[in-house]
Amino acid sequence: MNSLSVDHMLGIKYLTKKDIDLIFQTADNFKKIINQPIKKVPSLRDVTIANLFFENSTRTKLSFELAEKRLSADVINFSSASSSVKKGETLLDTVNNILAMKVDIIVMRHPNPGASVFLSRNISAKIVNAGDGTHEHPTQALLDSFSIREKYGQVAGKKIVIIGDILHSRVALSNIYCLKKLGAEVGVCGPSTLMPKYLDSLGVNHFSSLNNALKWCDVANVLRIQLERQDVQLLPSLREYSNVFGINKKVLDNLDKKITIMHPGPINRGVELTSDVADSEHSIILNQVENGVAIRMAVLYLLSIKKN
Amino acid sequence: MKILVKNAKIVDSLSKHNNKTYDILINNNKIEKIAKTIAIDSNTKIFKGENLHISQGWFDMHVNFGQPGYEQKETLKNGVKSASFGGFTEVMLMPNTKPQLDNSTMIEYIINYTKDDIVNVYPAGNLTKLQEGKNIVEMHDMINSGCLAFTDDKKSVQNNELMKIAQLYIKDTNKLIMNFPNDLSLQNHGVMNEGEISTQLGLKGIPSLAEEMMLDRDINICDYTNSKIHFSYLSTKKSIEKVKLAKSQNLDVSCDVTVHNIFLTEKELNNFDSRFKVLPPLRTSDDNKAIVEGLIDGTIDVITSDHSPQENENKKIEFDNAEFGVIGLESAFGLINKNLENHLSLEEIINKISINPRIRLGITPPVIEEGNFANITIFDPSIEWDFEESDIKSKSKNSPFIGNKLKGKALAIYNNNLFLEL
Repeated sequence: MNSLSVDHMLGIKYLTKKDIDLIFQTADNFKKIINQPIKKVPSLRDVTIANLFFENSTRTKLSFELAEKRLSADVINFSSASSSVKKGETLLDTVNNILAMKVDIIVMRHPNPGASVFLSRNISAKIVNAGDGTHEHPTQALLDSFSIREKYGQVAGKKIVIIGDILHSRVALSNIYCLKKLGAEVGVCGPSTLMPKYLDSLGVNHFSSLNNALKWCDVANVLRIQLERQDVQLLPSLREYSNVFGINKKVLDNLDKKITIMHPGPINRGVELTSDVADSEHSIILNQVENGVAIRMAVLYLLSIKKN
Repeated sequence: MKILVKNAKIVDSLSKHNNKTYDILINNNKIEKIAKTIAIDSNTKIFKGENLHISQGWFDMHVNFGQPGYEQKETLKNGVKSASFGGFTEVMLMPNTKPQLDNSTMIEYIINYTKDDIVNVYPAGNLTKLQEGKNIVEMHDMINSGCLAFTDDKKSVQNNELMKIAQLYIKDTNKLIMNFPNDLSLQNHGVMNEGEISTQLGLKGIPSLAEEMMLDRDINICDYTNSKIHFSYLSTKKSIEKVKLAKSQNLDVSCDVTVHNIFLTEKELNNFDSRFKVLPPLRTSDDNKAIVEGLIDGTIDVITSDHSPQENENKKIEFDNAEFGVIGLESAFGLINKNLENHLSLEEIINKISINPRIRLGITPPVIEEGNFANITIFDPSIEWDFEESDIKSKSKNSPFIGNKLKGKALAIYNNNLFLEL
């Protein structure tokens, strides 16, 4: 099977393990290519991709754009700041207008959960979800698992703890789905106000103590604390969060083993991670960024060759 | 016009003819005769068919018809058409119009506009001005204009003192305060039930707690003021238990559930399908089970369609931005009967959509006996039919039931000296 089971990349929950393996194998090849002197391949020549970002993003947008350009796709960009969305146009109208200009693939970030699923039901182009509200961010989860696989040879059997705001995090949700599909054990750690009440249904362990979580895990994926997503303040202060759930060198040194630190970025240095941890040999944060391009090339390539 | 309904089984627990099959002769707004066989003259229209049943005209306690202000969703004439097609001869209109029904002039407007229709439209008034939850409306003035109940509908009254004042203010009338218990600070912009599915979809959940906290408050206030209250749209297992307990303590409380909350669950939303976005949200199968038990043991008095028309532009959009609500008048009986026929007798089902809401609202039930006003629904509970978009008479088509097989159908209604074959 050299083809994905899905027509769109809407979320990890819609993928099979075979799909994920295929994406990883394809990304292996693309990673080799982007480390060559000539980093570009003609795979998506004549394919037009629109990056629609209805929510701010720097690294995800750059990563997608670079992936698209290295595949030789024609790329157009659209962001909500300059869009007609603010003039009252519906999402569907906006996208249909863009599709009328003969676009083949839509990469979309949107603040509403399920926006990409909604779009996939109503338009004919292929869709890549680049983050939809608090739902999923599948390419982030794929690049995270790909980075773990790169570090340890495989993901199955590894223990990964995700630390931070699980309740409002699409990165956490996609990572949980992805890691579980790949056979990893998953834990989450953070204040109870940032945990979904029905966490058990996701099949993960909950740690209320950072130290216990770190002792248990092989890999800690540390999330950015985003106070701006919360209507009622769920934390008294970032200072207190940092004191209770922040990872610093001392915490890591007190463990009797060496664990790997990941972060989807952008880092609040001094809040969830101190600089000496973020920049230490524990960290594979920049590997994640590099792998992001390869993973997104793989996803775009596999979707483009998939026959409808 | 004289109409003879041939061989119809009477389903009316208040009638001495209940459960018996008779010919019923209707003449000039009245039930003229009920007998085994009735001889007729050539001016009489005969209505006959297989398995005919006849009951008091059906009553839906919560409908939205949009007019005035939201005529693009539904007009009064169109709403009446939807109701009549569903077999309903009386409905209570929620005050969510623009302007809202928060003064006697608006109450009179609705009553006068619909007075010649086959469906009686009873306007419920706002409980507070502009549904802002700050000051109660001129209730006595509105009662004098024909208002039977007061509610801010989905804008549940948040202020405790205000709810106490409202209950006290009309305590000595026989009019009804209705409240949909929903604590907005706990709903906290939630869009579906807080549970496994919301966790998996990343959608903001509405905890059961939001309903149960306010229900506790309302029951306590009812006890304190020694007045009465009706709870609209209950959806959780604990809510049903709380009402059951309050009733056992002889508090004057009653409640209703929507048709869809009886049998649909949060699982319908698994694919972000905004057709199923309703308030209260679809909950779990445990909640459904408790609702069915509450219907059986009489804790739940009334079933309503909560007919809430929404144009496509407000439904076929991203889930968070889509409006709450489904239409339901046309499909109500077929769904209720299909899903409850193994749990409740037909008579019990009919009570919850005819006699119970009337009694709670202080309306004299049009009992099927000779000499009484004829306000009737003729139906066949055994007909199985496919519910299609063409069956929707509402201006809006936001029904998640299109394509469903329903069981039971209204065949004709008679009210206000008008006869409509469906």
